[in-house]
Formats: sequence, C-alpha cells, structure tokens
Amino acid sequence: MQIFGIRHHGPGSARSLRQALSVMQPDILLVEGPPDADTVLSLVANTQLEPPVALLVYAPDALKLAAYYPFARFSPEWQAIQYGLTQNIPVRFMDLPQTHQFAQQKARDESQMTAADATEADSSDSSNPDIAVPIDVPEIADDTSGESTREEETPLIRKIRRDPLSWLAEAAGYADGERWWEHMVEQRRDDTDLFAAILEAMTALRTEVDAVDPPDLERPADLREAQREAYMRRVIRQAKKEGFEKIAVVCGAWHTPALQSSPAVKQDNALLKGLPKLKVKATWVPWSYGRLSYSSGYGAGVVSPGWYHHLWHHGDQVAIRWMTQVAQLLRQEDIDASSASVIEAVRLAEALAALRDRPLPSLDELNEATQAVLCFGDRAPMRLIHDQLIVGDRLGAVPEDAPVVPLQQDLQALQKRLRLKPEASERLLELDLRKENDLGRSHLLHRLNILNIAWGTPSHTSGTGTFKEGWRLQWEPEFAIAIIEASRWGNTVATAATAFAMTQAEASANLPTLTALLDQVLLAELTDALPMLMQQLQAVSAVASDIAHLMAALPTLANILRYSNVRQTDGAMVRPVVHGLVVRICIGLPAACASLDDDAATAMDGHLMGAHRAIKLLQNPDHDANWFGTLTKLADQADLHGLLAGRCCRLLLDDGQIDSEEAARRLSFALSTASDLVQVSAWIEGFLKGSGLLLLHDDAIWSVLDRWIVALSAEAFTMLLPLLRRTFATFTPPERRQMGEKVRQGETVEAAVGIDMGDRFDHERAETVLPLIAQLLLGTQ
Amino acid sequence: MSSSSSPPAALLRQHAEQQFAEELAELAKADTRQCPPSWKLSPWAVSLYLLGGELDNGFTISPKYIGSQRLMEVAIATLATDRALLLYGVPGTGKSWVSEHLAAAISGDSTLLIQGTAGTSEEAVRYGWNYARLLAEGPSMEALVVSPLMQAMGQGQIARVEELTRIPADVQDTLITVLSEKTLPIPELNSEVQAQKGFNLIATANNRDKGVNEMSSALKRRFNTVILPTPATADEEVSIVQKRVESLGRALELPAEAPALSEIRRVVTIFRELRAGTTEDGKTKLKSPSGTLSPAEAISVVNSGMALAAHFGDGILNSEDLAAGVQGAVVKDPVQDAVVWREYLETVVKERDGWRDLYRACRELV
Repeated sequence: MQIFGIRHHGPGSARSLRQALSVMQPDILLVEGPPDADTVLSLVANTQLEPPVALLVYAPDALKLAAYYPFARFSPEWQAIQYGLTQNIPVRFMDLPQTHQFAQQKARDESQMTAADATEADSSDSSNPDIAVPIDVPEIADDTSGESTREEETPLIRKIRRDPLSWLAEAAGYADGERWWEHMVEQRRDDTDLFAAILEAMTALRTEVDAVDPPDLERPADLREAQREAYMRRVIRQAKKEGFEKIAVVCGAWHTPALQSSPAVKQDNALLKGLPKLKVKATWVPWSYGRLSYSSGYGAGVVSPGWYHHLWHHGDQVAIRWMTQVAQLLRQEDIDASSASVIEAVRLAEALAALRDRPLPSLDELNEATQAVLCFGDRAPMRLIHDQLIVGDRLGAVPEDAPVVPLQQDLQALQKRLRLKPEASERLLELDLRKENDLGRSHLLHRLNILNIAWGTPSHTSGTGTFKEGWRLQWEPEFAIAIIEASRWGNTVATAATAFAMTQAEASANLPTLTALLDQVLLAELTDALPMLMQQLQAVSAVASDIAHLMAALPTLANILRYSNVRQTDGAMVRPVVHGLVVRICIGLPAACASLDDDAATAMDGHLMGAHRAIKLLQNPDHDANWFGTLTKLADQADLHGLLAGRCCRLLLDDGQIDSEEAARRLSFALSTASDLVQVSAWIEGFLKGSGLLLLHDDAIWSVLDRWIVALSAEAFTMLLPLLRRTFATFTPPERRQMGEKVRQGETVEAAVGIDMGDRFDHERAETVLPLIAQLLLGTQ
Repeated sequence: MSSSSSPPAALLRQHAEQQFAEELAELAKADTRQCPPSWKLSPWAVSLYLLGGELDNGFTISPKYIGSQRLMEVAIATLATDRALLLYGVPGTGKSWVSEHLAAAISGDSTLLIQGTAGTSEEAVRYGWNYARLLAEGPSMEALVVSPLMQAMGQGQIARVEELTRIPADVQDTLITVLSEKTLPIPELNSEVQAQKGFNLIATANNRDKGVNEMSSALKRRFNTVILPTPATADEEVSIVQKRVESLGRALELPAEAPALSEIRRVVTIFRELRAGTTEDGKTKLKSPSGTLSPAEAISVVNSGMALAAHFGDGILNSEDLAAGVQGAVVKDPVQDAVVWREYLETVVKERDGWRDLYRACRELV
C-alpha cells in the first residue's frame, strides 16, 4: 500500500501523482471522497463531463443538506480517478459517507433549533450559515455550527487544523500556505520521494498539534475528523481483505499519518458504530473557476485556478507563455503590449525571482513585472488579468445523462404543490395574491425570473387592484439547461434565487439596477438576500452622484421600512440606508436642481413628489426637519426652474411650514412683472398642479392670482393661456366649476358691491364698459 | 564635492549618502552577495538599506521607506536589469525620497540630478557649451558643459530626473536615445558618450498635477513604472506623520507641545477615509474629494494646527486648531468638494464617538 498526500487542486501534486501512479501500477485506487458518489464515478471517463465540475451529494428529502466536491482538470483526485478508469482498475471513494454526515448535521441543526426556541433570546442571528455561504463546503461545514461548547480554545491550533500547510509555510518564512506549497511542491521539477517527504512532514506536524491540543471526541469537529479517518482505514482494510495488493490511497496531506498508522480495528468500529443515516443522491454539476477560488467562499479552494490551469497545461516556459497570454489579453482590451515589453517583463520577473532567491518566477513576480512593465504601474488592468487569467472564467459542462439536479427536483415538487404545470403552449394566468396558493405561484415565477428561467412574463391585468397579478406562461425546452446552470447557485429555487440575487447585487454598482433588483427580490420574497442588498445599496448610494437615482430609490425603501411585510429585524437593516439616502438627498438636491430645462424639471418634479411622499411616510421628525429645510432653501433659490419653485412652495404650504400669507407673498413675488412669463406660468403649474382646492379655499392666494391675471396684457394673456390651461386642466370638473362660480362671484363683488346679482344681471350691458376699463387699467387699445 | 568638507551641522539638509554614510559603510562591509557592475552594494543590501533591518553584526539600519517591501524590490530589480525606473504617484508619497536613497545606495552619489521644470531645456538634459571656450578654442570636449545625465553615463552611475512630466514633451524625448541605445551622440564633435555599465536613470513623475506634459508612449515604454501608493495602514501613516511633524516642529522651533497622538490619528483617519472612499470599519462608503490628501498634506495640517495652537491658542493642539486646516485640505473645489465634505461631516463625523468637538468645530466653518 502506498499513501499519496496531496493538496486539493494542486497541479504540481497532480503531475507528481500521475507519475507516481504509473510507476507504482496499483491494482486498486482509493480516493478521499464520498462513497455515496461511487455510482456516478464512472462518468469521469465520459468526454462530455468537462471540468471544472463538482460532485454534488445531497439529501433529496432535505435539500438544504448538500456537499459539493469541486474538481478541476489539474486536481490530483481528478487525475487519479481518470488514471484508474483508463487502467480499468477499481476506483473507490473512501471518506465517511455523506449519508452519515448529513444525518449528523440534521440532528445538530434540529437540536440547535430547539435550543434557539427555548432561549429565544438571540432571534437576531441574521446570518444563517447556509445563506451566508451558499455552498456547503465539506471541509469547513462544521466550523460554523456546533462549536459553541469550547469557543475559547486556542485559535492557532484551530487554524493549523484547518490549514496545516500555512503553519509550515509560516515556519519557512512565507506569507501564506499557497505560495509555500507552490514553491516547495508545485514548482519542483524532481519528484522523487516527494510523497514520502509530505508524509514525514505531516506526521511531525500532527504529533505536535495533538500534543498541544489533543483531539477531544466531545467536540463535534474532532469527532467528525476521527470518524472520517476511521472510515478511511476501514475502506483500506476492506480492500486488503478483498485481496488487492497494490493499493494506492490518495488523500489530503493532513490525513496521511492517520492512514499510515493502524489503530485497533475495534477502536475504529466503536467510532463508527450506530451512525445515523439519511437517504442521499449524487450527481455532477457544472462548476466554474470563479467558484473554485477563495473569493466565492469555498474553504479548500485555491486563489488562482487560472494560473494553476496554466501550470498544468504548460509545464515548460511558464513565464514566457504566461506573459504572452497577458499581452494578448491586454491587446484585446486595446492596451498596447508589444513583444519588446513582454521580453522586458519576463526579464524583470526573472531578476525579481533572483533577488528573492527563487529558482523560477512565480505568480507574484510575474504580476509585479506585468504591472511595472506592461501596465505602466497602473493597477486597473491587473484586475482584468486577475479575473480573466489568474482566476479564469472557464465553465464546466456535464453530460445530459447525468442524474437530475436537486434544483430540478425542488422545482418539480413546487410545480406539483402549487398546481402549476409546465406547458409548451402559451397560457395566461391571473393571480389573486390574497390567496395563499396564488401568492406561492407568484413567488415561484418571480424567483425563476431572477434565475433567468423566464417561464412566466408579467403581463397587465384588467383590474386595478394591487392584489392582482397577470402572467403569460410558456415552458421552453431550454429551461432544462438553464436549471442545470442555475443549480450552481443552490439546491432549491429559493436558495438558488437568493444566492444569485446576492451575486448580482455584489456585481452591480449602479443604483437603478440595484433598486430594480430590490423590487424583484421583494416580489419574489427572498428575504435572506435583503441584508446583502441593503449593504450594497448603502455602499452604492454613498458614491452615487445622480440625486435623481437616490430619490428614485427612496420610495421602495421607505415602503419597506413603513409597512415592512418582511421580518421585523429588517427594520434595523433598512433604517441606516434610508437615513443615508435622506441626508444625501437633502445635501445634494439644491445643486441638482440648479439650471434645469423644462423636461429635466418635469422629471425632477416627479422625483420630488416621490421623495416627499416617502419622507412623509417615514414620520421621522429629523428627516422632516431636514427635508423641509431643504425645500425652503430650494424655494428661495434664485435660478430655480419655476415648476420646482412653485412645487416647493406648495409642499411647504400644505405641510404648514409656511402660512397662507407667506405663500401669497411668495406667489406675488413669483408673479412680479420682472419675472419671465413662461417661468411664471411654470411656477403656477408647480404650485397648483393636481389640486385646485387650495385656490377655492384660500382667499389670499386667490386674490393674488386674480390680480395678476387681471393685470396681464392681452398679448401676454393669449400667450400664457395654453400654459395656464395645462395646469387648470388637471383639476377635477367640480373644482373647475366651483372656480368658475367663484370668479363670477368675485367679479360681482368687486364690480358692484351690494347689488343682488340674480338673473337680473345684464351681461351685454356690462360688457360694453369692459374695453374702456381695460384701456384705463392697462393702457391698451 | 565642496559640501562634503563643510561641517554637517551647519547644513540645512544633507544628501542621503552624507546623512547615512555610516549605514552605507556597514552594509558594504557585511555585503557578500554579487553586485551588478559598478554597483556599490548588491540588490539585497540596497533593499535592506531602504527598508531597514539588522545586520549580522548587530548594526541597525534605519528604515528609509515605510511601506511595501515588494515595491522596493521591483524598483531595485528594474535598475539591475538596465531598464530605467519611473516612480509615479500622487504628491507626497515619497517618490523623490526613494529615488534619492536608491541613487545613494547604488552609486554612492545622489547628486546627479536634473530638476524638471517647464523651462528645462535640451542643454540641461544633454550638454551645453562654454561659449567663451568655444569661441576661443573651437568645438572640443573641453568646451562642453556636461549635464548630470552625461556625467552619470560616463561614470556608470545612477542619474535622477525629478518631475519628468513637467519637462516639455520634446525635451523629454531626448531621453529616448539614451535609454534605448545607451549612448548620447555629440554631432558637433562627430563623437558620442557611451554609457558605462551601471548607468541607469530614475525618474519621478506626478499623476495628479494639472498642466503636466504627458509622456510620449515611446518614452513610456522605456521605463518600468512603479506606483508608490499612499500608506497601507493607519498605523503606518500615523507613524510617518508623527515622525515628520516632530522633526519639522523642531526645525521651525514651534513653542507648542508635541501634538497628542489622538489628534494626529484623527487627521490621518479623516484623510485616509476620504481618500479611500470608505470608512475604516468598511461599513460606509464615501465620496472622495478632488484633492490628493497625501501624508505630506496631513503633516502640513498638523503643523499649521500646531502653529495656530502655539501663537493664538493655549499651546495645546485641539480640534478648533485642526478644523480649518482639514477643511482647507479637503475642499479644493468649492462646489464638488464642499458637498463631499458636508456629507462626510453629517454621515461620519457626527455619528462617531468622541468626535463631537471636531464636528462642531468643522460645522462652524462650513
């Protein structure tokens, strides 16, 4: 038997392992991985299964429980399995089966839940681990749960247990384990005795760690570790018993000493006795290099999958080929990168490696050389290189005959429960959101839309009620593929949509998109995505320079805060965002309203009203004071568009911030003869738009307006009439009629006080004097 | 060199190789690694000289540059590969400082300097003529007025160009031949000066200045560029500011007490947050003003605050003394920056524990 301690996703390990295996010629191959997936292992030989892919093990009855085992082509495990399958020798996984691990996890979750119910004190644990890290990672799944008993244990030891290599790296003077491993193992050209050396190093390390912090079977993490290693030993024994002689064992470096030593069979059996079981299934799902990297929350991942891909495919001339790739990428993006610069970059990388006493330039040196030579020191192109080359955007593919993914199962279950059958023909559906089933359907359709599975398109409904929602449904065959794609994000429609929405939010730096996404998320009721969305909104709104965008975002958020249809804890989350928005709007509004043309002013007027309503809705005295202060400032702003000035004045009047005398003063100021007539009419429009009741009830304002109209010259009046009509047309017919009556009354009151003005009033005679009066008053002929 | 003979105490400022002569000598003694041709020290020793550390014999080298080791290594490796080095960055990040010390450590001479200005002529970069001699003796090598660049080429030393982008573009391009062919032709004498091994050029340039002459891409390609960033951590920046403020305060003989670390920390925090566009706790995003807010400006804000406190206040630096300086440093554009500053005051300063006094002091000024 020979044990090969590897580093997950290390191309150097993979290369050495391939070599060592062909030297050893084993007759059976045991790989660290879930035995539950032995059934789908044969698919690795299928050419349609193209890495990066992940082995997904899940519990069909509890889809939240799932484990992903990602593989890239340069993963040693992948190479080992491929070798085994092409050599036609048995390949088996040997880790503790997920059927037990899930059952344990479920039991823990349930006991935690009851504990939480009992105390009920910390109901505010906002981060459900399943949501915070959308993928359950086999390596670290337990670190977040069930560790409450001994939280004060030495953090260093825990760090070593989780990442033993970084400990060795630190001892060797490296900043992180990945670099150290890369220099010591991955870049090594001579692999003789590599695996023996790893075994020796790990044995020493584990002896030390166990001496400082002996494993304690009371701790779930330690117990799980012990059980896993016991199971691995059991699989090895089984293989020996079956008569295999040359057994190759491929496992994480950390486990090698435990598999080398052989404690009593009895002890292992005791550890593995009576483990609970849960039904599990396994399948392959496409993966991506982006998700292999640390940034996606995958614990045992690698920082630079694209770089490893490069190392795997180009064993020689690494630096030159890498720099050429970099230059090609830069040229695609219209950044000059000449061959001469590539030569200089390679030279600099080599000089740097020499300065640091390294035999070959590693990614660090190459990056620094690229930045100094090809990017003129600029860091922006480096981000491009990081995303495109160092991480890479390679996507895997799985054959069509791979077993169905859990997301598909969840969708089918939902379709059945909600009685919503997928049909290829188009169908209209009207939902009544007051009904529970219809609400569920609406959520499902919205969630699928977020996942880009456009089964339903929203359509207009006949009714006006907000509880109605119309959909046009049509099931397309491509959705099957879309579902497989989407299964990267989660195992249920809800979790997948949540994870996807969060990723979208993270990538989006523009306020309208975020607001639209927020709307979608609310409609789909993905409450778990809200905290992250809020955070992003907060961040984006802080740097947004377009006040209109800020104002457009406010109403939705104010609604959430006021009528929170979501959980109560969300209020605390939304409040700071709303607060920030209001403060920023108030500071930025005066500048944003300066020198607007008619169209822009109309748009701004809409935003102003929206923001006003939202702020009134919030009923927060601080916001109110701030807002009305800003409105007053706006109303006083000299060069403000008339529409907005009138609107501000009206809003202040309606809220009692100024009394009607002040409003009348402002009106008469705005109507002064010095003002531009078009601006004046815009002012009136802003002041009166929407409701004429004010005019009917406030005599001071009425008379100011009246005096102004009477004082207009004939030409001015003709010119203004269409503009004024635009305002007055917005009043309701009864309002207009009353105004007409008031005009008539007012005239008689002024023209002939005390005269009874019934039917005896003679219009024809009265009109005869009007030209003269006009001549007297206005000096027109 | 005449300055080396005068007593150092009388000089307002010493050259790097004078001030740190002892360190350089100790390093040369301890340095056993391979030196590139004409280098006084090996790249390893140059790196140690810049970043500070301890020699095997216990001698301590003071750090000249507080910041990323990797950047310094890239700079040194660049010079070792005979490529010219361009130090680029916002003002006040220590470009000239690094360039001076690099030249001092590598060639033992940091004085081969061409100061770039809008009036820098081609003669200043290449060579000029001693016209009296030219008329008397006719064109000859003796009648040439050698530029620092030419001198560095002839002696295999490091030449420095300060503020490269202030030099008119056509004069800048004189450097192209020097950097690619490593030679400086003198057509009048039908001769040339070929660079000796060890010659190289360090240029500094500023990426925030207005009215600079953008470098031609032909010239740019001949440089490796290292961008010197603003300090990475608050502690780093606080220590830089504190060190400089103390030494400057002593030089200007300010009577005020040395400023409390907490006030320096506040200024540095404000500068860092606005520069980075995010609060230190990473929770709130902020708009950034148009100014650079470099450590050098933080130093001058604290210094002027000290002067205010000494001459008009109670001698102890407090928030009133700082407010005007901070605002002046942040608000460079009266419209955009004023909005940024007010937003920062309202959303960050107002809410922060123990910052009420600063908020009030700044609010009064807005």
